[in-house]
Amino acid sequence: MDAYFYIILGVGLLSTIICVVAGILKKAPNDVTILSVAAVELALLVYLVGSIVRVIAGERIAGEAWEFWGYLVTALLLPLAAVYWSILERTRWSNFVLAAVGVTALVMAARMNQIWY
Amino acid sequence: MTATSSEHTAKKPADTRNTGPGRLLIAVYAVFAISATARAGYQILTKFSEAPLAYVLSAFAALVYVVATVSLAKAGRTWFKVSVIAVLVELIGVLVVGALSIFDAVQFPHETVWSLFGRGYAFIPLILPVLGLIWLYRRRPAPLEA
Repeated sequence: MDAYFYIILGVGLLSTIICVVAGILKKAPNDVTILSVAAVELALLVYLVGSIVRVIAGERIAGEAWEFWGYLVTALLLPLAAVYWSILERTRWSNFVLAAVGVTALVMAARMNQIWY
Repeated sequence: MTATSSEHTAKKPADTRNTGPGRLLIAVYAVFAISATARAGYQILTKFSEAPLAYVLSAFAALVYVVATVSLAKAGRTWFKVSVIAVLVELIGVLVVGALSIFDAVQFPHETVWSLFGRGYAFIPLILPVLGLIWLYRRRPAPLEA
């Protein structure tokens, strides 16, 4: 597991905890929960830029390259979809939807790491 | 929407399942629909001959998740029935494939979403249909008036 994974692990878990707590406290999605999901998106963008730089620098992906990029692009779309889905109906349940982004992102980052090495 | 119709819906809840907890359920189903479809597509395109039965099951599971996601998001009696069927098929699928993957490891050596009762996915495939049925029961359409 590389630094990219650990960044997403940290940011993803933090975002999930923030959103679950907000959901338990019966809050609707607010700046804090949405920004925590935005932080997950940012961490994934860092992974994307870092990976592009590494490939250009000549590093080779050990597994299937298109599988790696498929995971990364899908992971990048998830926070956007979750925020869209959660602001359509602003109830506590939408915070649980946002909470799902962090854990999903970290599982996908783990898989991306496996494919890369 | 006019004032009278919103009053009407306030008295008698609309026949929908895409609000409140249902939104979380649909979100999780959507993630499974995407991941199962991607995984089945990948397995069938790259290594179908290794384990045709397992990979056809993968594709079938993906289809069930897609149907469940779409039908849960839709309002009305017909979509309710589609949801019940999809979620029941999912429950039976995860139980049967889960059991077969333990007792007949020769036929099911390759991973599907439902192998070992969804262990590879934190057993969410086993929990999800149960929660789905509970939610569908709680939001079942009102009986037809005679």
